[in-house]
Amino acid sequence: MRLIRAELLKARRRQATYVMLGVFMGLMGVIYLLAGSAFQFIGIIDFPVAYALIGQFAFGLGGLLAVVYAAAFVGADWNWGVLRNVIARGESRARYLLAKAVALAILLGIAMLIVFAFGILMTYVTGLIWGVPVASPLRGSGLVDLVEWLALGYPVLIQRAMLGLAVAVVLRSQLAGAVVGIVLYLGEGIIRLMLTGASLVGRVGQGFEDGFQPIGPEWFQYLPISIGDYVVNAAPGGGSSLSGGLEQFLLKPVPLELALPTVLIYLVVSLGVAIVALNRQEIT
Amino acid sequence: MIEAPAELAVATRGLVKSYGRHTALTGLDMSVPSGQVYGFLGPNGSGKTTALRLLTGLLRPNAGQIFLFGQEYSWRDRKRLFRVGSLIETPSFYPYMSGRENLVVLAASGPITPLARVDQVLEYVGMSGRSKDPVQTYSLGMKQRLGIAAAMLSDPDLLLLDEPANGLDPGGMVAMRETLRWFTRELGKTVVISSHLLHEIELLADVVGIIDRGRLIREGQLEKLLEDAGRVRVRVEPAQMAQAAAILGAIAPDRPLYGIDSGDQAGLFTVNVPVARAAEINRALAEAGIYASGIEPGSDLETIFLEVTGTGGSVGDRPVLPA
Repeated sequence: MRLIRAELLKARRRQATYVMLGVFMGLMGVIYLLAGSAFQFIGIIDFPVAYALIGQFAFGLGGLLAVVYAAAFVGADWNWGVLRNVIARGESRARYLLAKAVALAILLGIAMLIVFAFGILMTYVTGLIWGVPVASPLRGSGLVDLVEWLALGYPVLIQRAMLGLAVAVVLRSQLAGAVVGIVLYLGEGIIRLMLTGASLVGRVGQGFEDGFQPIGPEWFQYLPISIGDYVVNAAPGGGSSLSGGLEQFLLKPVPLELALPTVLIYLVVSLGVAIVALNRQEIT
Repeated sequence: MIEAPAELAVATRGLVKSYGRHTALTGLDMSVPSGQVYGFLGPNGSGKTTALRLLTGLLRPNAGQIFLFGQEYSWRDRKRLFRVGSLIETPSFYPYMSGRENLVVLAASGPITPLARVDQVLEYVGMSGRSKDPVQTYSLGMKQRLGIAAAMLSDPDLLLLDEPANGLDPGGMVAMRETLRWFTRELGKTVVISSHLLHEIELLADVVGIIDRGRLIREGQLEKLLEDAGRVRVRVEPAQMAQAAAILGAIAPDRPLYGIDSGDQAGLFTVNVPVARAAEINRALAEAGIYASGIEPGSDLETIFLEVTGTGGSVGDRPVLPA
């Protein structure tokens, strides 16, 4: 517990924590205001439509920022040389890293709640600006939808953060961890798109006697970032992830019963890789 | 299996550490007695920091053994480090947090450390007044003080300090010296201190170990080392160094002769002969028309260090003289 408290204190004191959240909410606010004109055609802004929008921000762009923040949160110990203070005091490397992971999970949980609260606020602000009435977020299945979004999105967010954590530990640097994390995050999207195209070409070769049917799930839909999208898409009103689009018409989604355990496996494997890497490292 | 006597706080036997093709330690055998200050000396790149990193579990040895408090220590035996406090290389802290907060988060790791101890060690190193300021506003000397405080945080039985005097002002050095003396003499704890400041080590250390190219080449009680290394220091005009070197070299032909041929100390010879021969040296120089501006009996750590590591400028067989 004392290690987790210490990690939370480090995060609270670090400017990057607030800058990251501020940048994210700023972007979200701007996009909300710019895209708000589309609400005019809806007649009424309802939830879960708004939750879906918030969720896509929180677990799309938010997932990317989680990778970067996790890499910065963990990798800084190498950059500032503070890791050797801890190891030289006889602290367990695994315990130290686990404490960091738990602290990250707590921080991201808080950030997620803040983002959802901010998103709900922005929904009202946007409705007010564009003169579109906004339904209560608790109307109908509103509360259940919200809980479902948070429950499905949270493990995805943590899994992505653990990916950033693992990369930073293996590379022993916050910057390298963040850069490689971003490249992995965006690179996987591009690779998935290319592989989707390749699969489609193969499908075209077989003809369309029964009309066009989505193919898959293909192996590349189980890659670490992609699989999280399928979990988030299973939330009410979900289904148009940032990296989705055309792919969703071409590929069958990975069912939640498979996608969620896969996300959890990635989460555990990332953390395991990080612990093994740290245990083997020599601290210079 | 090699045993290390229980009265040794630290012992290493045949310790080897390589970084790729470079071997930093080639079989280090050091013995640090409990309750004393051990001055760990060596030229740059001799392996001092590598040795300290091995003692604190940051690195794994390729071969050899480490004993902490009389028992063999392995890399995975991390809880043994609960009795060790260390400052390795530069003091490292989170720059955006205050000195006190840095110690609070550090106290959360390793052995259970009461928070009251944080304020206590800040007091020891004279940092209470600035403890709430961010570390990024500290001078190097202040960071060094904070590093020493961090090393003392868990009230360790053994302190490993790598160049702790770096950046300290004279007042800070005196305070550090007094704190470490109190630590060993009053509390009976052990200090291993590596430093380039030989004068500082001479004032502080009870035992000295000199390492060169990864191997311990001299170790013993400082007093005894100085006594054994009988020598006379002679100062002549720098312009007369070549002539003086020939005369002094003849006085002790089988012993190395050291001379400094540039800088403030130019003209200073160290003749490795018993102090009783100081008069003979003076006479021999005077007969050749060289009048020494100073003849000091005795020895110092610097001379021993330069001699055993071969890092001093010799003017014995091949004089190195100013143009």
